[in-house]
Amino acid sequence: MTDSILEVRNLSTHFFTDDGEVKAVRGVSFSVAPGETLGIVGESGCGKSVTAMSVLGLVQRPGKVVGGEIMFKGSDLLKLSKEELRNIRGRDIAMIFQDPLSSLNPVLRVGFQIDEAMYAHDKIPKDQVETRGVDLLKQVRVSDAARRIKDFPHQFSGGMRQRAMIAMGLSNKPDLLIADEPTTALDVTVQAQILELLRDLNEQTGAAIILITHNLGVVAGLCKRVLVMYAGEIVEQGTVEQIFERPQHPYTWSLLRSVPRIDANRGHRLLSIEGLPPDLIDLPQGCKFNPRCPFRVERCFTESPLLEQVAPEQRAACWVTMERAYAEMGAGSITDTSPGAASGIHPTGRARPAVEVPVAMAEPVSD
Amino acid sequence: MLTRGTLIYIAQRLALIAFTLVAVSFLVFITVHSLPGSAFESERVHGKALQLLLHEYGLDRPVLVQYWSFLTNAIRGNLGVSFQIRGLPITPLVMRELSVSAELGGTALLITIGLGTTFGVLAALRQNTWVDYTLTSIAVVGYSVPSFVLAGLGVLIFSYWLPTVTNGVISYPAIWTGSYGTLVELSLPAIILGFYTSGQVTRITRAAMLEVLQQDYIRTARAKGLKSRVVTVRHALRNALIPVISILGPLVISIITGSVIIETIFGIPGLGKEFVESITAADYNITVAVFTVYALLIGIANLIVDLLYTVVDPRIRY
Repeated sequence: MTDSILEVRNLSTHFFTDDGEVKAVRGVSFSVAPGETLGIVGESGCGKSVTAMSVLGLVQRPGKVVGGEIMFKGSDLLKLSKEELRNIRGRDIAMIFQDPLSSLNPVLRVGFQIDEAMYAHDKIPKDQVETRGVDLLKQVRVSDAARRIKDFPHQFSGGMRQRAMIAMGLSNKPDLLIADEPTTALDVTVQAQILELLRDLNEQTGAAIILITHNLGVVAGLCKRVLVMYAGEIVEQGTVEQIFERPQHPYTWSLLRSVPRIDANRGHRLLSIEGLPPDLIDLPQGCKFNPRCPFRVERCFTESPLLEQVAPEQRAACWVTMERAYAEMGAGSITDTSPGAASGIHPTGRARPAVEVPVAMAEPVSD
Repeated sequence: MLTRGTLIYIAQRLALIAFTLVAVSFLVFITVHSLPGSAFESERVHGKALQLLLHEYGLDRPVLVQYWSFLTNAIRGNLGVSFQIRGLPITPLVMRELSVSAELGGTALLITIGLGTTFGVLAALRQNTWVDYTLTSIAVVGYSVPSFVLAGLGVLIFSYWLPTVTNGVISYPAIWTGSYGTLVELSLPAIILGFYTSGQVTRITRAAMLEVLQQDYIRTARAKGLKSRVVTVRHALRNALIPVISILGPLVISIITGSVIIETIFGIPGLGKEFVESITAADYNITVAVFTVYALLIGIANLIVDLLYTVVDPRIRY
């Protein structure tokens, strides 16, 4: 895609902590077309937010972008000066955050916080800022906007605060809005309203949206294209239909199987993904999902799979892919989701022994 | 800003201060009058003469009656007369000394807030660098070395070792007549008086800034593309000042009590020096008056601090 407004190539962001180098994002590449809605999903700590923060240059010490390119409108954001990047932040690329209460400054009026985003850049003429502030609050459907704009954040409800955050984000008519878990801290009804608002604003203003969430329902409701991240890497990407109907990576598949559905058959078991995401300091060899994958094969322990085309517009990083898992491993009727359950591959690469607990683990060697 | 609720709150607090003043003056009055000895002992008056003297000052009446007449007079602004300098009215004396002490204490408070917050912010922004270590070390010295040690050191350095730098003038001249000190006279005692409190403010500001800088709204402010100076001052410092204000009340008390020592060491004719001298001389009327004025100052300082909260933090309303 040459006409993309944002193109991230091979981005790596690491955190240099006392315990070691946390490789939070590794070799992530993706692009966003003008006006597109892109979802980034994955469980907590998989690098979604760090990816977004890296784009805006907001990664704080001890974090650091260690490699890659972030091309925005023809320039590499990683090569810009602090001042040039500051001028893009909030002006061309805006970001809204998860918890709208803690994300608004408690001691400043809501209107002031919206207006200062406009005063910080020269995009909106100074004499129009205040009226635009009220208009924005109306646009995000805060009732009685002219009066409420003088309120402090604690006088707003949770949904209104997120609306105010969105108004702030849109104030400079950005080309790209990054929404990091915008609905997580809100009630379900308010979540739906905020998503609808984002959808409408995307259509009205033409701003592209990157939606970061761990909630697959939210992605289905808003996005056209989806990236699935696991342990700091993109493991699958595709259109929202492809990801939801024909997921090819076992992680995506497991995620979908762990979402309760109101239209599921009675007796349909909700499956969980066993185990925890890997330690980002000491990553497993080969595929990073192998310690939790029911479909892993021996190759998964030695070689990292790369993103490969599995369908038009769909790419997955997996040696097995779900197509094979369905055909050879009976993935359609699986009830045991423990690692290697479907393929029969034990962590050491041998077949699963009859006895579950290895002797070495039950009786620690005393040397 | 001044809503009905706030006005009612202020009225309540003023009533509470008035009650405190009565309670404090009563306790002090009873205590000092129970002490052995009197202001006239050094004059070696005995028998009939002493009786006459005591009667003249009303000291032969029961203590509670004496207190009642003190209270009724004090409400009218008359704090009685000195025993030591016979018949000298105390009110104008205390007022003049208050102005001297207020100048010293006010300067110390300005140094405390100005220096303390600046050091605290710089230390937080340069956390774990030599800037942080230097400023934190200065703060630790500030709140661990007693002021009388620093004052003694100051006198030693500036009047004994370096007399040419200051021409020997390190504080108020011996016979001082004006009501205010000059900047030269004021600076050394004010810095030493404000050193302890500056250290405290540095420590609190640094800790508060470090915490605030981690907050989500700071990330929001940076994501908006605000200049880092704006983020630091407008978004971070304003929130970091809330805990600083909460220790301002105790710090004002530190400055007032510290001024007793500093004024005595530097010979500053303020309320603190008078306080010490009145106790030494058993000039009890002055002791009670100074004590009561201190109670009033502390009460008002705490009220101002509590009102400052509402200015800095809109979530607090009275």
